[in-house]
Parts: sequence; structure tokens; C-alpha cells
Amino acid sequence: MNARGSLFQAFVLHRRDYGNTSLLLEVFAAGRGRFPAIAKGARRARHPTSALLQPFQPLWLDAVGRGEVLTLTRVEAAGPAIGLLGRPLLCGFYLNELLVRLLGRDDPHDPLFAFYHAALTGLAGGDDLESLLRQFEIRLLDELGYALALDVEADCDRPVMPDGVYVLVPGQGMLRAQPDDRAERVSGATLLALAQGDRLAPHQLREARALLRRLLEPHLGGRPLKSRALFRRFAVASAPSPVPGSGSGQGAGASRDSTPLGITNRSLES
Amino acid sequence: MVDALRCLPGVGPKSAQRIAFHLLERDREGGLRLARIMADAMTRIRRCRRCRTLTEQEVCALCTNPHRDGGLLCVVEQPSEILAIEQATEFRGLYFVLGGRLSPLDGIGPAELGLDLLDARLGGGEVREVILAISPTVEGSATAHFIAESADRHGVSATRIAHGVPLGGELEYLDGGTLALAFNGRRRL
Ligand SMILES: [Zn+2]
Repeated sequence: MNARGSLFQAFVLHRRDYGNTSLLLEVFAAGRGRFPAIAKGARRARHPTSALLQPFQPLWLDAVGRGEVLTLTRVEAAGPAIGLLGRPLLCGFYLNELLVRLLGRDDPHDPLFAFYHAALTGLAGGDDLESLLRQFEIRLLDELGYALALDVEADCDRPVMPDGVYVLVPGQGMLRAQPDDRAERVSGATLLALAQGDRLAPHQLREARALLRRLLEPHLGGRPLKSRALFRRFAVASAPSPVPGSGSGQGAGASRDSTPLGITNRSLES
Repeated sequence: MVDALRCLPGVGPKSAQRIAFHLLERDREGGLRLARIMADAMTRIRRCRRCRTLTEQEVCALCTNPHRDGGLLCVVEQPSEILAIEQATEFRGLYFVLGGRLSPLDGIGPAELGLDLLDARLGGGEVREVILAISPTVEGSATAHFIAESADRHGVSATRIAHGVPLGGELEYLDGGTLALAFNGRRRL
């Protein structure tokens, strides 16, 4: 898709009211990266751009201004909104939060923009949310320059073997697990699936999630992701009934089970 | 004083100055009365224990009104919307005020919206239908979905008010999203 005149493709990652009639947006745009922008008058009654300036709506935008915050001068839909509901919608919020937290300002990340768009479309399709999130996390780390080879051993460049067992050594990469390693283990097959962008098998989801969590952690500055907490509540609330003997679903066992963001979901276990 | 006045919505530095001068020079009486009423309201008005709207009582007048139908529960975002619905419609049920919408990036989760209280209400057996009067934004739809799941668990039917073309509005000027919602919500004539 080519630019139309000076218009650029974009998504709104987050919006909040600004003054009485305007919106303050966090925009992620092709060729421009993430930046804040103001949509003046967008909240006036029956102003059509208010409906458009929402997350998950592909947009054509134009903006003017110098300095920190730009002002939008044109807003057009670049197609219908990506219809996310329920779990896929929470996953969408999660992607947005990752971008807001990890992307620097005005650092263009073209491949990431396309990948984000594709990931949202995938979420709307609704299947295999987990593999999609993991692939997005890996692409994001790659783009930010925090890439880590998942398919070779860090100390000797030997290729990772599907039947091997490995541990993550922060700052270095994956090493073959030793009997006395206390770090969480990851199977070679999972690492290879992640490295090649393959679908993860059900038994690989948990270790892939734990691994990506550890890879993202140092870049999040110690503040937890809020959409993870919301997902936990959602997962617990949507369980049809507590599974006998499954504990409270929060607390210690929380990271043990099976929702895309790494939170117990009793409805999946039952 | 000028600074303090700026906490009012729509009041910028200029208007704050104008209001301050007006009260000091021409209407001290009015200013004092406003100060008294404000102080009183700010300390006495709190959230209704049942519906979370603003009230001077423990439980608000609507919640304690025996003529309202407790089987119908309308969920709104803000207390002001109760007023709007009361004035414009024949709705005779009760309300529940969220105070916002789920928005993880703003740190607004189920706890901030009183969703536990709402869940307990839906599980209490009295409510037959929960009517969601929540903005059709992305955050609004996440909120609606959360409540619909809770209603489903308790065997309460959940409906959403129709969204679409404003009265007197022309289709030509409508944004695509609204038009799509209106289309999906079409009815037999
Ligand atoms: Zn009440």
C-alpha cells in the first residue's frame, strides 16, 4: 500500500480526553514509529473522527507540528476496524501496551508496523492467540535490537537440537541445561518453533510464555504490564465454575497455566 | 483562587480570572453561598452502596424506591447518564454506575469499576435482565463483554442498547463504524 499524498498509515495505540473537545493520542505509524498527537475538536458532538480514532482501526493520517506533540490535520479510515472481542481484544490491548512501553518516540519501525497489523488481523481470526503473541514479542525484541539467537547455543554456536534441553542465561543466550541449573528449562523443539515462527504445540505454550516473559522483563523497567492483570481477572471471571482442587487461580500458581498472557485460566483446564 | 477555579471543566486561565473578579467585586454573597454549598456537597455526597451513583444517603433514592423494577438493571458509565435516561425514557428498572470503562493502559480494571459488586448483584437472583448502556468504543466493548460473561454465568440475560444513526442524521455524513453498527443492529419493520 502506498502513501496517498502526505498521508501515512497508522493505528491509535491509546487515547485519552484532552481539554473539553480534543483527544490526546498515542499513534503508531508506518515510517514514523510511535508519537503523541492531538486531534483537535474530535470529541465534539457527532464529530465523525472520534469514532475513527480508536485502537485497532486502520487509519490514514496527516499531521503537522514540530516538537513533542503533533496535531492531526486529516483522519481517514484505511479499511474497516479490526473486530476484536473478548480474549482477542484483551490480547490487542496487550500488544498496544507492549508498544507504548517499549517503543521509543519517533523511531520508525516499518517491518514492525506491518507485523502489528498482521498480528491484529490474526487475533481477529481468533485461533492460536498464544503463538501469535509469542511471535509478536519476538519480532518486537528483534526490532528493538534486543534480539537473541534462539536456535544456536550461546557459548559454542552449535545449533539447538529439538530433543535438547536449554536454559536462558540473561545477556548471553541459550545454553544447554546442566543438571544443577536452577533456571527454567526450555526444550529445543520450542526454541526452534519460536525461531522459525512456527505454531506452538499445546505442550510448548507454557515454556514459550515463560521464556518470553523473562526476555521482555529487563526492558519493562520493573513496572508490570497492566493488561496482564486485566487478563488474569478476565480469565478467572470467565471460568464456568472453580475446578476442584485448582487453588485460587491467583497467587503462587498464577503463572502456571494457560492463557495467552501467562495467567491461570480455569476454564481451559476444566 | 484563580488557580483553584481552574479545576472546573471548561474553565481556562482567562475565565478563571473573570469569575474570580466577578465574585470578589460584585457578588461576595453569591461566592460565600457557593463556597458553603460546595464544601457541604464535597463532604456529604458519596457513592450509593448498591448502585455507586452519587447520593447523600447510604443507599440512593432510586435504589430504595419500591416502585422500581428490581428485575431490570441498567449499567451506565457515569451518574449523569442516569439523569439522561430518566428524562428521556420510560425505563423503570434500577441502575448500576461503573464510573468508567476497562482500560488497561490507564490502569482501570474491574476493581476500579466495581465489577465485583455488580457480579454479586447479578448473582443475587433478583435481576432478570442487565441492560448495557455503555459507549461503543473499544474499551466500552471490552467492558460490555466482561459484564455479559458475568451475566451469562448467573443465568441473567444481557442486552445492549442499540447504537447507530442519530435522529435527523443523514447516512452520508456518518462514519463507517457507526454505519456498520447500525447495519448490524437492523430490525424487521
Ligand atoms: Zn443506588
